[in-house]
Amino acid sequence: MRHPLEFLFPNEIGLQLIYSFVIIVCSLMIYYSTREMYKLSSYKGIKYFRQSFLFFAVAYFFRYFISFFLVFFNIQNVIDISPTFIFLGSLFIFLYSSSMAVFYLLYSVMWKKWNHSMQKIYLFNIFAILIAFIGTLFGGMGVTIILNLILLLFVSFILFIAYKDSKNKQKGKSLFIIYLMLFIFWILNVIDVLIPKFLQIYQLVIYLASILLFMIILYRVLKKTGD
Amino acid sequence: MPKRGKLEIMRDILKLIQENKALIKPTPLLRKSSLSSSRFKEYYAELLRRRLIKEVAGRKDKHIMLTENGFKFIERYKAIIDFIEEFDL
Repeated sequence: MRHPLEFLFPNEIGLQLIYSFVIIVCSLMIYYSTREMYKLSSYKGIKYFRQSFLFFAVAYFFRYFISFFLVFFNIQNVIDISPTFIFLGSLFIFLYSSSMAVFYLLYSVMWKKWNHSMQKIYLFNIFAILIAFIGTLFGGMGVTIILNLILLLFVSFILFIAYKDSKNKQKGKSLFIIYLMLFIFWILNVIDVLIPKFLQIYQLVIYLASILLFMIILYRVLKKTGD
Repeated sequence: MPKRGKLEIMRDILKLIQENKALIKPTPLLRKSSLSSSRFKEYYAELLRRRLIKEVAGRKDKHIMLTENGFKFIERYKAIIDFIEEFDL
């Protein structure tokens, strides 16, 4: 007997497309609903917050949509391009964009404490390129898990410092839990892309939890922007 | 009295202009803003650069006027601050 989910999503790519689509829509809604606030205030924290979600949208576009478009429009028949090149290229952009998204989200809460400087942004770019490079070329299980665990420790440490200095502890607590969960599910997403079989049985749970987290953030954004 | 943040100072300057029927000369604005001359100049330049205020030529000297964005800024100020606090930005 077929699993009920197979009726809903006839194949895995269908489920992944719906998942990516929801995340892209949520991210772009966050980005565009905060546009007026940033335009009026030019506040750096809002700028980094917005950029983070723009990078999330780009990352999820390159995660599944690009391969779907290439297959759907049969690009290979129009341009002679190697599928390996497309796969590695989109994987590199996905890893770079998602790392930048996480770094910008961290920076949005830390920029004042880190004495806002462009050097940090350059450093984030170098780290993100390094992560993308290692993930694309040596995307093995060991390297990926170690790399992501180091990142998770780094992100958790920074978030803990940000929470400790937070003015409103109660509000801050819930925000930092959401951010921490978002980073954990981001790492699970990266592992799911690089080592698909590793987390296959939990894939649906990872997708649903990630969607829920993005929706919670979107709800909080829309509540405040009044859109 | 706690130190005012950058956005709060900008809002206060814009409010002063609004309370003066959205048109005021630079000298009374400086006096009412409770800022030093050098800090006032910085904020004044920033407000002009962000197009929240504009200069209009009067009969004798120039006046400062609120732009549409200036009015919007005052209107949305509380929402902007709430948003910054909500996400600890």
